[in-house]
Amino acid sequence: MYLNYLHWVEKSIYIYKKLIPPCGVYVLDVKNKWDVIIVGAGPAGSAAGYMLAKKGFNVLILERGRQPGYKELFGGRVYAEPLREIYGNDLEKAPIHRWVKREKLSFVDGSKLVSIEYQSDTSTSFTTYLPQLARWMADKAGEAGALLVEEVTVDRIIYKDGKVIGVGSGSDEVYADLVIDAEGVNRLLLEGLGLVVKLQPEQVAVGAKETIKLGEDKINERFGLNKEEGMAWLLMGGITDYIPGGAFIYTNKDSVSIGLVLHLGHAIKEVKDHISQMVEKLRLHPQLRNLWIDGDIMEYGGHLTPEAGPAMMPKKLALNGFLITGDAGGLLLNVGYTIRGVDFAAYTGYLAAKAAIEAHDKGGFTEQNLKAYESMLKNSFVYKDLTRLTGMQDLYNDPGMFKALPKLAVGTAANVFEIDLETPGVWNSFNKARRNAGLGLLSLAWKGYRLMKKM
Amino acid sequence: MKIVLGIKWVPNTQAVRFDPKTGTLIREGVPSIVNPHDLDATEFALQLKDKFGGRITAVSMAPPAAIMGLQHVIGMGVDDGILASDRAFAGADTLATSYVLAKVIEKIGGVDLVVFGQETIDSSTAHIGAQVASWLKLPYVYYVEKLVNYDEKKKEIAFLRKLEDREEVYRIKLPAVISVAMHSQKPRPVRMSYKIMAKLENPIQIWTNKEMGLDPRCIGLKGSPTIVGGITWTPEVPRKKEVFQGDPKEAVKWLIDKLKEEGVIPF
Repeated sequence: MYLNYLHWVEKSIYIYKKLIPPCGVYVLDVKNKWDVIIVGAGPAGSAAGYMLAKKGFNVLILERGRQPGYKELFGGRVYAEPLREIYGNDLEKAPIHRWVKREKLSFVDGSKLVSIEYQSDTSTSFTTYLPQLARWMADKAGEAGALLVEEVTVDRIIYKDGKVIGVGSGSDEVYADLVIDAEGVNRLLLEGLGLVVKLQPEQVAVGAKETIKLGEDKINERFGLNKEEGMAWLLMGGITDYIPGGAFIYTNKDSVSIGLVLHLGHAIKEVKDHISQMVEKLRLHPQLRNLWIDGDIMEYGGHLTPEAGPAMMPKKLALNGFLITGDAGGLLLNVGYTIRGVDFAAYTGYLAAKAAIEAHDKGGFTEQNLKAYESMLKNSFVYKDLTRLTGMQDLYNDPGMFKALPKLAVGTAANVFEIDLETPGVWNSFNKARRNAGLGLLSLAWKGYRLMKKM
Repeated sequence: MKIVLGIKWVPNTQAVRFDPKTGTLIREGVPSIVNPHDLDATEFALQLKDKFGGRITAVSMAPPAAIMGLQHVIGMGVDDGILASDRAFAGADTLATSYVLAKVIEKIGGVDLVVFGQETIDSSTAHIGAQVASWLKLPYVYYVEKLVNYDEKKKEIAFLRKLEDREEVYRIKLPAVISVAMHSQKPRPVRMSYKIMAKLENPIQIWTNKEMGLDPRCIGLKGSPTIVGGITWTPEVPRKKEVFQGDPKEAVKWLIDKLKEEGVIPF
């Protein structure tokens, strides 16, 4: 049936060429190596793999999980436009659960909350399960001709004579002209290369999440949604014990994703409960629990997200024969009311592929040629958003921001709406709440100005 | 040595939950894995191959999704795989399953040793190894932990198995069937080069009943005499969360009174 070829290739380079099918004589051919190896079949890796395979490159994608997406976790929402630029109309066939047409932002203090809601008949983002989307994106790369291999943990990038020539896993090595690092937020390979230092708590947020199965009709009824319409709901303040960060609620097709994102630098100092207990508090919050009281918790999980923007980007995103994309590059945006990870990752993978194609046309994957990736990135919305909006980091360090403002909002509303005998005026209610929150008028004005400016 | 390795693609029972109201399993969204005890068998077979050379063919009877399981063991070093997959095989109990597997092994031909795991995590019958051995009329040793020796010329092999109070060594003539004791091996990780090969050259064949040509009365639901008479389960007893604080002597009295009240102790 097959000759026992695995033994004698064990200590060699693993590039095979079938000469005489089907009797299975395999001959080692060193010249025939991969054009591109991509580490990680997440949104960044699969988008890059799709673009490059489509162009005719010989692409190998190595994934650590048993399937694409098994090692990933996100809140629940993806912005569509960057993906549409990559996949065009094919995006309609992606595993989209609901198009988000209701946005809600709530300030929480104790058992009370104040909300702002935006409703629209148009939408620019959708909810989905990340393993489903990741599977779809990996399959797109596969259809285009890339080879996806799961259950393989790449543990080193092979750097020799001033350039990256391949990757290693245990005693095995594979070689390529270009390696694209899409390993995700925990950048062990980049650390190994000396391109980044170990992650610092201040650079990341920790996310924890539960998915509650509820049924499509119940979701539509309880959240006031039409069929296939979704809601994205972000909450801040007491819901995170006033730790910088926030909570989220997203409606999937027949389930709800709820969870928290806590700025890790603050969380390790200020956290009182285990984060899983904080998610439980969110689930049991008196104003929220009835939304999913009869639901069934299907899964829970946790993950890190990069938060520091340009401050945690590697010194270089391109080396000879090497590019860095997605979370590994620190390319994720979290500004509280908007979290963009999957679409940023996919788009940076797409840009990396574009830069690789250009470099190839110019004569090769040299650092000089691949540098175009850095300038493409700097000219794209990704980098512009990152530099503009990570000023939010300063706000995180303003202890008042996540405590005083929610208290002020909830306090004012409580004073206005909870009437004993005399109907209170709005200004008086506001001032009373402001004093309770310990905010001076001037300091509040300053905070408000900064908030508007940074956002 | 020509080895056949039997594996099963099972729902990860650690992720399966139980609906306390209906007593049914909630299987939805539960990922499947290679039966963990079969990985002990895989490791055992690979060690034999490391020592004596030869080939290992993994076999399984399952829907096509089980190809992922075969790919996994090929990633560990198994040479190729055969998946017996046909609608006609569906609904089988252990007897009908072992019949198909035995026929697959017969069809492969020239097999020296058939290796199974001790049991599966989703049904725990431990039937398949014994039944395959009896279909094939081959000697069968179960709870195997170690190879003692192998005489290639005489085709004689000796295995050690551990029981609760003793160790036993069985010397048998090949061909034979064994099942490997659970938790007795440390299954090796998947290797990149094997995994890439598995994907590039797809050394997995699917055999339907067209290839097998088995009597429909012996396979699938029709070939399965087992009848599930009923399923019962122990309902969850809600915790009362009562705490007694104070003197230990009083605490004992309080506890005994409570247990009497609940009818846990009769006097």
